[in-house]
This record gives sequence, C-alpha cells and structure tokens, in this order.
Amino acid sequence: MSKGKPPLNLIAGIVIISVICVLVMGAPVFTHYNPLEQYPEERLSTLSKAHLLGTDRFGRDIFSRTLYGGRTTLASSFLALVCSLVLGLLIGLTTGMFSGTIFDIIVMRIVDVLMAFPFMVLAMIITALFGTSLMHLLFVVAIIWWVPFARLTRSIVLQVKNETSVAAAKVLGANTRAIIFRELLPKVITPILILATFELGTLILSISALSFLGLGAQPPNPEWGSMLADGRAHFFQAPHVLLGPALFIVLTVLGLNFMGEGLRDYLDPYEIIKL
Amino acid sequence: MEDKTILHLQDLCVSYVQTGHEVSVLKNISFSLKEGEVLSLLGESGSGKSTIAKTITGLLPPSARIKSGALTVAGHLRVNLTQRAILWNKIRGTVLGMVFQDAQLALNPLFTIKEHFREALITHKIGRASDVLPTAANLLKLLGFTEPGKVLSSYPFQLSGGMCQRVCIALTLCLRPSVLIADEPTSALDATSQKEVISLLKNVQRELGVAMLFITHDIAVANAVSNRVMVLNEGNIEEVGETQDVFSRPAAEYTQKLLAAHSIRTTVSAPQGLDAKPVIDVVDLNKAYSKNNSVIKDLCFSISEKEIIGVLGPSGCGKSTLAKCIAGIEPINSGEILYRGKNLVHLRGRMKRELCRHIQMIFQDARASLNPRYTAIQLVQEPLNYLNIGNKKSRKNKASTLLKQVGIDDAAKFRRPPQLSTGQCQRIAIARALTLDPKVLICDEAVSALDVCVQTQILELLVHLHMEYGFAILMISHDIRVLRYLCHRIAVMQCGAFCEIDSTDAVLSSGKSPHTKRLLECVYEM
Repeated sequence: MSKGKPPLNLIAGIVIISVICVLVMGAPVFTHYNPLEQYPEERLSTLSKAHLLGTDRFGRDIFSRTLYGGRTTLASSFLALVCSLVLGLLIGLTTGMFSGTIFDIIVMRIVDVLMAFPFMVLAMIITALFGTSLMHLLFVVAIIWWVPFARLTRSIVLQVKNETSVAAAKVLGANTRAIIFRELLPKVITPILILATFELGTLILSISALSFLGLGAQPPNPEWGSMLADGRAHFFQAPHVLLGPALFIVLTVLGLNFMGEGLRDYLDPYEIIKL
Repeated sequence: MEDKTILHLQDLCVSYVQTGHEVSVLKNISFSLKEGEVLSLLGESGSGKSTIAKTITGLLPPSARIKSGALTVAGHLRVNLTQRAILWNKIRGTVLGMVFQDAQLALNPLFTIKEHFREALITHKIGRASDVLPTAANLLKLLGFTEPGKVLSSYPFQLSGGMCQRVCIALTLCLRPSVLIADEPTSALDATSQKEVISLLKNVQRELGVAMLFITHDIAVANAVSNRVMVLNEGNIEEVGETQDVFSRPAAEYTQKLLAAHSIRTTVSAPQGLDAKPVIDVVDLNKAYSKNNSVIKDLCFSISEKEIIGVLGPSGCGKSTLAKCIAGIEPINSGEILYRGKNLVHLRGRMKRELCRHIQMIFQDARASLNPRYTAIQLVQEPLNYLNIGNKKSRKNKASTLLKQVGIDDAAKFRRPPQLSTGQCQRIAIARALTLDPKVLICDEAVSALDVCVQTQILELLVHLHMEYGFAILMISHDIRVLRYLCHRIAVMQCGAFCEIDSTDAVLSSGKSPHTKRLLECVYEM
C-alpha cells in the first residue's frame, strides 16, 4: 500500500533524532575523553580542537559530558514515557469502555486531582521524603505523566465506541477484550503515538529542569539539566559551558516536535483518499 | 419570454488533484437553462453533478482545478470561471440561490431562523430592517408553514429535517434569485417529508417563476420534478432532453442501464412451506431509551426459516432499534427474543456469543461498519478470530472463498476500506457476516446508501446467496422498491409497533392500515 511521500517535517524530525541518538549511543567513538575525568589545568577553556565544546569548571570535556549525559537524559525520559504511555493507554481504554461506572468515576477523579497538582511541587515533596535520586524522579514522572495519555485515550474511546464498526464487531461475536484490543486500540494508537512524541519533548525538558534544580541525576554523573545548573555560575565568564547541553536539549525537542507533526500528517488512514 | 436563457455554461472542464495526480471529473460540460424551467442533473455518485453546482457558485474545494469554462447568468453577467478573483458576492444569493442536501447542517445552530433571514437580507442590502419579518413570514407561509411566527423564533435543531429544508428554501428565495440550485435537497429526508418538500418546492418555483437546477440521483424524483433532464456519467453528458422523451425513449446506453436498474423486478420465489418452523420469535418486545421515550411497544412477530421479511416504515419509527435488539447489541426492557426456541435475552458472555453467531447483521453505512485499519481479507477473518474457529490457514481459505463469492477480486483483497468503493465495502460486510454461517441475516437499510446500479447488484447478490445458503433475511428499509423486489412478507411499522404484516403483494397492492396507504402514496412511480 503506497501512502505517498512522507512529509518533510517527518523526515527532518527523524534525521535530527537519529543523529542525536547515534552521537549519544556511540559516545566512545566520537570522543576519547572520560566524562568524569578532570583536567584542572584546562578549567573553563573555550572551544578548541582538543575540546570541541570546551571544558567546565573542573576541566572536564563538555562535548564528552554532553554525549554521555544524553544517555541518562534520553534513557530516563524514554523509560518514563513508555511506563506512563502503557499505563495511560490501559486506564484510558478501560475507563472509556466502561464509562459511567463507579470505576470510571473514581479513576477520572484521581485524574482530576493529579491534573490539579503541580508537577514540580510533587517532585520536590517526593524527593524531600525519599531523598534525591534519578529513580525517585522517574517514579514521580511515571505516576503523573500517564494522565494526558489516559484522558486522550478515554475521549477517543468515547467517540469511537458507538461507531458502526464496533457494533458490527459485537454482532460478529467479539468479546470485550477483542473490542478493546482489536477495534478500539488501533483507532487510539495513532493519536497516542503523536501525543507521545510531543510529550517526550516536554518530558526531557521537565527532567532537565528537575535535574537543574538538583532533584535528578547527582554529581558527578553528567546529565543535561544538571550540566546547565553547573554552568550557570560561570555564564558570564565562560558562556560556552551552556552551549552543549542547551543545544542538544533544543535540537532533541525540536526534532521530536517535527516528528509528531509529521506523523500526524502521515498516519491518518483517511488522508489517502482525501481530495 | 418563454425562450429567454437565464443561465448558460460553456465548456466546463474541472479536475481534482489527488495525492499528486490529477483526476478529471467534468469534461466539456455545456448546457443552458431557460427562464422558469426545471432542469434535472441525474447521475450516480461520482458523476460530477455536485461539482457542477459547486463550480457555478464558487464553492469548489482548494484541490479543484478549473481548466476551462465560461458562465453567463441573467443574460448580461459573464464570468470566466478560470479566473482567480471572481466577485462571487454579486452572483451568489441574489442571482444564484443554493439549497444544500443537509439542511440541518446548512443552518447555524446558534442563530434563530429570524436571524438567518435578517443576515441574508441585510448582507445583500435588500429592503429595510423592518421588512425582514413580513418578507420571511410570507415566504414561510408559501412553503406550507401554518405558524411562521413560531418557526421564526425557533433554532434549527428545534425543527425537523423536512422543516429545516423548507426554511432553507425560503431563505434562498428571500433574495429573489433568478436560478435556484437544489443539490439533492431531499436525499436526507424520509419518504413522507420528501414528497412534501418536493411538491412545495415545485409549487413555489412555478409561482415565483424561478428557474431551477435540480440535482438528484433518484430517477423517479427527477421524473416528477423536471421539464428537462441531463444524464451525467463520469463527468460526461450522456443525454439531454425533455423528461418525457428521455425516460420513455432513452437514447444513451447508460440511461437505459439506469432505468433498467431502477425498475428491478421480482425474482425471488416464495419458499416452500412458509409455515415451516420459525427461526426467530419476537414476543412482547419492549424497548425504551428513557422512561418516557418508548421506541418499541409490545412487538410480536416471527421469522420462518429461509424467509425474507421486510420492515417498512418512516425514519424514527423504531426499525433500526428493532434490528439492534434482535442482533443483541441493544438491551431490551421486557419481552423475549427466541432463536429456535432458545431465549437470547438473558444470555451473557460466551453462551450469548455462541448463539448470536447465527444472527448476523449488515449496516447501512458499509464503510463505517468496517475498521479502516484492516484489509478486506483480514476483516472477513475477524469473526473467526473472535470465536476462535479453525486455524490460521483454514480461516484464510474461508475468507478467500467468501470474498470470491461476493465478487471481490484478488487485487481488492488486500486493500483497506478507505481505498474501496461503497459497493465493494458492502460486499465485504456481507462476506464477513456469512463467515459464521448465519441462519438469519439482518439488513439494516443495507442498500439505501448505494447508487441504483450498485443497489441492484447487491440485491441480486443477496438473493443469490440466500438461495445458496438458505438463511432467512430481515430486510429493514424505507424503500418500497427494494422490499418489493426481495421480500416474501412485509411488516409496516409505525411508532414502534407493526400496523400491518402480510404477504408482499397484499401489503403493496391493497394496504389496509392508513399508515400503509400514506406510505404508498409517498412513492414516486415512473
């Protein structure tokens, strides 16, 4: 089945994200510096052939730290996203399917509470109670980030569950599980994947922001947010210290947004025959 | 005066740009419309009839390209349609009035009817603000409203479909257009309102002397309304002529085909021993969506093995609800539905699915009843997956055989519903329903959304499959023509109850109940 050429923004998004992924995953190939090794004699040196993005206040190579730090940022955001996506999908599908029941009402009120709760504040409370670590941060993200997925899934399910195709499936002998997974899920999955690409962008920003506040990855481990926080003090003397992590955050979020928009244009099954 | 041309269209060619390539939809269309005349544009869906209406009112979607064409209206207004900047506001409304298919969508739900009139008249600077109400009231009276004041202060959603369409016609006429373009104005209405709207439209047209371009797919309606007919097929004019001539002595082959498809004749012989065992028994069925809104009241009837029974009734009488109740997708309030003596009503879960596989249903909107993400062959295998019948290979084989039987070729087998025609979608839906070897097939307006030729093909297919598999059919339709072709017995439904149930001939030739008589009166005969 030919769907025509994929849109330009989708290609651009995929290229940007692939390049970043290759750089981050193949970090040892692209740089020979250890991200934790300190060269005190080269503190805050600017961009040069030896140090592509310069060094930080301990003389650590920023390019190397950015690449290795990307592993933490990207892996943790992706892990958190997958957890919340699966949780959100399941909750959305079941509440949508059984809308109006006690189960639905209770879950949706929990959703309302979580929506009303400031994410940053919750993250601070949890880290204050259990101590700062990346795992705690991921836990906070996972318990709050499923909400948009659940809400979107539920609203789509409410729309499509009264469609003729679902009625037809019922007549043909589909049980509830078959209706949820064979009829509803395929209709939900496209908008959810598109939302996921946008959410991943936000998630990377949030995790970086929390690490910037010192609630995520702990020094000396590199992480984009904590590297920004680290470099903040030297911004006026050596502005290049912010360049690496900032550039990578911006590019990643931009690439993900391009991908989301492109996917939306590309995956609509009715787009094929639209005049 | 008689021969004055009011609208002339010359050499119109239009194409649509579709995923990169151009598809030509109108080829060298030229015609003219005389003052006070009604010209019908007759054709199947996709023949380009609506595109003509959209072109001359400047409402084409951005993907359309006008290759050539010139429009002359009211004798002096000449428009080169290929130009980009055309002052449509000088033409639309005051010269060309347009009535759309779905009147309820054409009216803005946030405005009352009064505000609609005011907007139309003020925008075109016709009359003073104080004149709006009397003008509107007069027109509404002309269109058969006894209480125009009440209608003027209502919102569109408070009116029925037929009333909305009459309001739309009045709104269009209040600007005194020279030409009225009606694009399938009654296709969304049921037979009773259709007859009413068409006769009113015809009266008003005659009284005000406007010319009318009437777009329809219904041969009988075209016959009743127009002086002249233009038959369109795939963007070409097949035939133009006086209505009488075209329908009594069709010159073009395509017109003959259309007429043949329209006058389908009975081919189903009554099954032997109709008083055989009933396969479905409905006893005292009651269904209400809310406390005061009873849809089906104490309904009793039975369907015999191998019988084809029709349910006829106006929209909103509960026919579709009845179908859904029997198919088991709508819970009922009280009563019994028996399949070969076993009550289906209180069954749940696996038991219900096992029994209900014998009762299958096909829907009006075939495309909507198929999940757009699966291919034809996957769709036909679905029911076997649901009930875990056979293995992967046997499922695939069965699906292929059935698809072949309903006339889906190998190329179409791997396409998805959005890439298939409506007729093909309905064929797939039928094949899918037959995978479970049903004993009863419920067809809920299964051919209403199809063009006449395709409609005939699907009906023939149903008859053929009925002979081969011997399932009973419950055919729900508002179209007497379809039921006459197919059914052994017809039940006439009104307000949730059957007012008559008898053999097809008895019902259609000498309907006893007044409802049947009224329904029969609304049918346009050729």
